[in-house]
Amino acid sequence: MGKKVLIIDDSNTMRKIVTRSLRQAGLEFDTILEAADGQAALEVLEGEMVDIILSDINMPNMDGIEFLRQKQRNDKIKGIPVVMITTEAGSDILNEAMSLGALGSIKKPFTPEQVQEILGNLL
Amino acid sequence: MDLNKSICNATVEIFQTMLMMEALPGEPLAKRGASHYRSVTGIVGLAGPSKGMLAIHIPEKTALKITSSFLCMEVDAIGDDVKDAVGELANMVAGSIKADLLEDSKEYKLSIPSVVCGAEYQIECLAASQGSIVPFTIDGGEFLVEFHLQG
Repeated sequence: MGKKVLIIDDSNTMRKIVTRSLRQAGLEFDTILEAADGQAALEVLEGEMVDIILSDINMPNMDGIEFLRQKQRNDKIKGIPVVMITTEAGSDILNEAMSLGALGSIKKPFTPEQVQEILGNLL
Repeated sequence: MDLNKSICNATVEIFQTMLMMEALPGEPLAKRGASHYRSVTGIVGLAGPSKGMLAIHIPEKTALKITSSFLCMEVDAIGDDVKDAVGELANMVAGSIKADLLEDSKEYKLSIPSVVCGAEYQIECLAASQGSIVPFTIDGGEFLVEFHLQG
C-alpha cells in the first residue's frame, strides 16, 4: 500500500509549499491529505489512516498543541508520527509539542533538504 | 537591539529559501504611518513581556508576483490566494525576527496573521513604540517591512 501524509496548516499557501518540498526532497507519497486546522485533521483521520502527519502550531479553531492532546487520547491514531512545521522554533510551545508526542520540528523557512533530513529518518 | 539588521536578515533569508528570490534591502525609512495605495498588507501581532507588530506592505503588482512564485502558478488577481500568501509571509518574517531579536523570545507569542488590502489605507500602530521600516526591492517590485516593539 502506498504511503500517505496529512498536512495540517491554516495557510493554503503553506500546504502547497510543504507538498512541493516533499516532492523536491524525493519523499514519495501516493496520497497527500490536507486539513486547515486540528479539528479538520481529526475529522480526516476518522476516515483515513496516514503514515505521518506534518502540522503547524499556530492555527485558529484548534491549534497544533490541542490537536496533539486530542490525538494522544485516541488509541486509533496516537501512534502516527507527527512533525511540527512552525515559525516557533526554540519556543516553549514547541517543547510542549514534543512533550505531547511530536517527534521533530521543521522551522519555517525551510529547504527541501531540511525536510528530507528530518522526515527521511521517520519514514 | 539591531532592529534593521534583524528585519533584513529575516526577510532576505525567507525570500531566498521559500521564493528563490533575491530581496535587496534599502535604507530604513524615517516616516511612519504613510498611506499605501493599491496594496496588500500582512500583519502579525506579538504579545509577551512587551507588545509588538510586524507588517509587510506589498503593492498589488508585487504581491501577485510573490504569490505566483509561492504557488508555482500564475496568479493575476488579488483574492484569497494573495491574502493567504502575504499573511503567511508576514508570519514567517515575524517568527524569524522574534527568534533573532528577543533574548526572551520563548515568552512571546505571535498572533494569527491578518491581511488588509485596498485602494488606499494607512496602518497606525503603537505610537510610543520603537520601530523600523525597511524597503526591499525584488526583481520587478518593491515592498516594505515594518516592525515595532513597545515596552
